[in-house]
Amino acid sequence: MTKAMPRIGSRRSGRIGSRKNGRRIPKGIIHVQASFNNTIITITDVRGRVVSWASAGTSGFKGTRRGTPYAAQAAAIKAIRTVVDQGMQRAEVMIKGPGLGRDAALRAIRRSGILLSFVRDVTPMPHNGCRPPKKRRV
Amino acid sequence: MSLSRSPTPPLTFSVPFRATTADAGANGRRLLLHLPSWSWKSPNLTAVTGGGRGGTVRCMANQRRVKMVAKQIQRELSDMLLTDKVLQYAVLPEASLGADRYLSSLTTISGVEVSGDLQVVKVYVSVFGDERGREVAIAGLKSKAKYVRSELGRRMKLRLTPEIRFIEDESLERGSRVLAILDRLKEEKNIPEGQDGEQLEPLNSPEEDGDGDRDDQDEGIIYIK
Repeated sequence: MTKAMPRIGSRRSGRIGSRKNGRRIPKGIIHVQASFNNTIITITDVRGRVVSWASAGTSGFKGTRRGTPYAAQAAAIKAIRTVVDQGMQRAEVMIKGPGLGRDAALRAIRRSGILLSFVRDVTPMPHNGCRPPKKRRV
Repeated sequence: MSLSRSPTPPLTFSVPFRATTADAGANGRRLLLHLPSWSWKSPNLTAVTGGGRGGTVRCMANQRRVKMVAKQIQRELSDMLLTDKVLQYAVLPEASLGADRYLSSLTTISGVEVSGDLQVVKVYVSVFGDERGREVAIAGLKSKAKYVRSELGRRMKLRLTPEIRFIEDESLERGSRVLAILDRLKEEKNIPEGQDGEQLEPLNSPEEDGDGDRDDQDEGIIYIK
């Protein structure tokens, strides 16, 4: 692409979707991916387009402290704060993975005032597909 | 006490008298052990023979190995909770019906403590949900303790599969209550004074470790729900 052609119609339809404060989302989905070393919380709308995300690492924790439940709930509060201003009241929670972040993030979400409509577990489960990594020897 | 399927080391003869806590070995029953001359050269076990009483043997693994085993048991048990159908049905009886896994309660393994001789494992379980869901989950897990033990023996290579005890862990919930109180105090402080810049930092310490708060440190606090 050498030079953007000044086509007004397409530019306007492209712009509106990417502006952040244009969307008012009353209901969304909160994805919590809780591994043993970290917790990532992503807030999307009902269709799956990401609104905001936060993780234990971005909340100021490093190393082994990212896996703790306190870090998970700090990440949850940080992610929800940006979204509550956009008017989200109800949310559905999808939880993926083992890890302490599952419980802690759920409690933080419930405490924050957002109504939890459903809690689902979407941990990916192969119908015996790829070979898992080798067993750790202790 | 069932043994794992590794070839019988001489230690197994001492299994019947070993009590569940490591301290009981000091005044345990006397048993004549025929320890072979080729003493095992395992770097992880150190045999401590009690003096003069007739050969009570306690084997303590070193601390680092105990931690590694605890971490590995936590991983295996969490994985079992996610994948194993029997365990899921025990924890959440309606899981067998629903297709899309809409949960009413969520069970998490928040910590694992292993005794020094790797024989007893205390698993701290935290359940998110209402009162009935919590009771059902804990009762289901406790009823499946033997099954979990055999599954763990199949998955992990340990000389003796430890005895598993499930304990309900309330520290996550307690920490959440404390943080809720602190948030509420912060809001109450901000509202009468307008919007001054003073911020109350919530305490980090009660919740760093999920299983560090066994003792009740906040007995004087009024619990809100």
